[in-house]
Amino acid sequence: MPISTRLVGTLAAATMLAGLAVPAFAQSGEVNVYSYREPGLIQPLLDRFTAETGIKTNVLFAGDGLLERVEAEGELSPVDVVLTVDIGNLTGAKDRGLSQPITTPAIERVPASLRDTDKDWVALSLRARVFYVSKDRVTETALTYEDIAKPEWKGRLCTRAGDHAYNIGLIASRIELWGLDKTREWLAAVRDNLAYAPTGGDREGPKNILAGTCDLSITNTYYMGVMLNNDAEPEQKDWANAARIIYPTSADGDGTQVNAAGAFIAKYAPNAENANKLVEFLLSDEAQKLYADQNYEFPAVPSVSPSELTLSWGTLKPSKVSLVEIAAHRAEAAALVDELQFNAGPQN
Amino acid sequence: MGLPILWLAGAALTSGASGEGGLAASMLPIALRDTGGLMAGVGALAGALGLVAAWLVTHYEFPGRRLFDWALMLPLAIPTYLAAYCFTELLDFTGPVQQLVRALTGGVTSKDYWFPQIRSFSGAIIVFSLVLYPYAYAACRAFFLMQSGSTNAAARTLGANGWRTFFTVTLPLSRPAIVVGTTLAMMEVVNDLGAVQYFGINSLTAIIYSTWINRSNFGGAAQLAVTIVLVIALLILAERAGRRAEAQIVPRDSRVAAARVPLSGAGKILAVAFCTLLLAAAFGLPFGQLLYLASRRLTVASFELTAAPLVTTVTLALLGALLTVAIGLFAAKRGLGPSRPARGAIRLATLGYAIPGTVLALGLLQPLGFADRWLNGVTRWAFDWTPGLVLSGSIVALLYVYAIRFLAVSHSTLHEAMERRGRSMLDAGRVLGSRGLDLFLRIDLPTLAPALLAAATLVFIEIIKELPATLLLRPLGVETLATLVYAKANTALFAEAALPALAIVLAGIVPVILAARLSARRPS
Repeated sequence: MPISTRLVGTLAAATMLAGLAVPAFAQSGEVNVYSYREPGLIQPLLDRFTAETGIKTNVLFAGDGLLERVEAEGELSPVDVVLTVDIGNLTGAKDRGLSQPITTPAIERVPASLRDTDKDWVALSLRARVFYVSKDRVTETALTYEDIAKPEWKGRLCTRAGDHAYNIGLIASRIELWGLDKTREWLAAVRDNLAYAPTGGDREGPKNILAGTCDLSITNTYYMGVMLNNDAEPEQKDWANAARIIYPTSADGDGTQVNAAGAFIAKYAPNAENANKLVEFLLSDEAQKLYADQNYEFPAVPSVSPSELTLSWGTLKPSKVSLVEIAAHRAEAAALVDELQFNAGPQN
Repeated sequence: MGLPILWLAGAALTSGASGEGGLAASMLPIALRDTGGLMAGVGALAGALGLVAAWLVTHYEFPGRRLFDWALMLPLAIPTYLAAYCFTELLDFTGPVQQLVRALTGGVTSKDYWFPQIRSFSGAIIVFSLVLYPYAYAACRAFFLMQSGSTNAAARTLGANGWRTFFTVTLPLSRPAIVVGTTLAMMEVVNDLGAVQYFGINSLTAIIYSTWINRSNFGGAAQLAVTIVLVIALLILAERAGRRAEAQIVPRDSRVAAARVPLSGAGKILAVAFCTLLLAAAFGLPFGQLLYLASRRLTVASFELTAAPLVTTVTLALLGALLTVAIGLFAAKRGLGPSRPARGAIRLATLGYAIPGTVLALGLLQPLGFADRWLNGVTRWAFDWTPGLVLSGSIVALLYVYAIRFLAVSHSTLHEAMERRGRSMLDAGRVLGSRGLDLFLRIDLPTLAPALLAAATLVFIEIIKELPATLLLRPLGVETLATLVYAKANTALFAEAALPALAIVLAGIVPVILAARLSARRPS
């Protein structure tokens, strides 16, 4: 028995050493990034940053759980910049004390509504949550958010899980606009109009429109551009071609719900200076143009215009509900999704 | 080893009974319904497939039997999430099968013809069952091989035919083995995150994940996690009972080798057809799909994409297997002793296998962070030097979580081998004056070598396939094959990940064949 005890001890010590052998990441000339964004969308930007500044980027991509990780790592965390895909994680980081003020003056390039009052986060690009409708089976050219709760859409809607950040953002904006009771009624009706229980990501909607299983999908704008130009998976061009985009409005005249992808600098960032340089770069005309032309998003810097393809989908009239107001109703929105068992699909 | 479970229990208790989104969550009934339905469906289907396959290859002789004997284990190399991606790619509206249906029927949309929806509850049951039946197959096969041929022979001499023998003798006798096999399959179902998310099923694991991640509600997630541990505990009790019952049933009489009956005519065709179809559906289809997708884009870029994660994955799997087997050996040796607390501790430690990787990561992230801060505090005070995140920010966290998650695999394999070996050889060694290292090297190691190898290969496969815990705990810049495939598949770019996915399956196949070969030798 003592032998195996010793064996375990040796192995444990060896693994500890292996841990120590991992290079310390707090080095000059580097910046460490945790990214909620898919690597394919963000890597070209980071490559350009490295080419221009000589600062190397180390990236950890995860669709979920990065804030939890930053929190657990505490003051020893190697992360400098966190890139998020929605507003919730930006305000969430500030609320949980995980961020520090951004010092680069470049932050002033975005309108005040797109950055934190204490400069703890900044939006980098905007995306609208819109309706993709079947070119063949839908004749309407304009729709309100209220419309899709009507009985004529029974069995014709589709979207991803209700508690995904994108849908939470949409529901939270409805709560700000309509109040909790009307939103509950609306969401229950939308749930009952679904063609099937929510599955997959934002691209499943257009795919199912092509398949004929659904006529209207709630999906973010830029997927249209990403899919239309997807040479790696050309079949996605067919999905996108089956649908067209309608920018929904609210019956009272309010515009389309907009969410932001953004960045914050970690409170204990070992390379805070390089982190600010990265944020500065991401807010430069060059990077903003990349967001517009390669990712088909709306640039956060107003002087940079969206791509021509994006503009061809129509004119975006943004909702008056601000990012901060959306973030404030997140918890209520999530509770509503649970209460209505939205993810279990239609009930009536 | 029990740290994550205890940590979660603490968090669950301190966050209050009515924690929002926790136990009181309105999704809990749905989660229990979906998880229960999935477990029952997969248990029944995977159990049936595994049982019939094992019965055929151990009781009958038919063309290809020797090949099927080990090849039927191959689906084990395909992780559930990969199976979900592959079958969806194949059977979805845009997949080749429905394209053919449309070409034949002239249909345009899915409303023009009938085709089952793969991304559905029943679709999930079928996909899970196809890749998880090997658990039932392996348990039943081993049981049949150990079983005396005399009961069957008796039934046959009394005039019962093959079917009747199967239903009246084989089936009732093999119940414990079926229980063992299906509970293992069901644990995999509970553990899965990638496939249920992809199929849109609200299983407990999926709900825990979203409670923690989308609601930032650690306490609520912890409460749900404790619920899942209770579900698992029930499964484990069932499994234990199964094993105990198994031990009591007709041990093999070494003088009566179980003879295989040669099949002819319809029986032969049926047996070959069943095994061929099962293997084709469970392994051939997804594997062929991956081969096709990967071959379509055999570029330098796709190799570059795969190479680094492959090296990382194999290194992690080797280190993890070594560590886990060493701890398993230690635990198995302790467990044979008379100490009751030791056995209780081992039970807690081996519970990890049944606990979803997501839950383990949940229970480890915080304590590891605390430990790192404490460690750095100490070194700063003593040497004015801070090593950084040596635990949570390095592969130590991964090796630790692998050891917890797969300890049961190595422990049970070694424990069984030790029980079968008995103490006599060790006692003989001691009588002859051997002690300590000498005894370990000259008697323990050689007699346990096959079991050690089997345990290491099983852990190796599991680590290569492991997704949820790796996803949450991997250090900055570390990408494994599984995390790479997950990232690609979730952005609907699965075809780009075909080569790394293929690498996961190939890496898993080698040990499956090895383990199958080893276990084939065991009963002789």
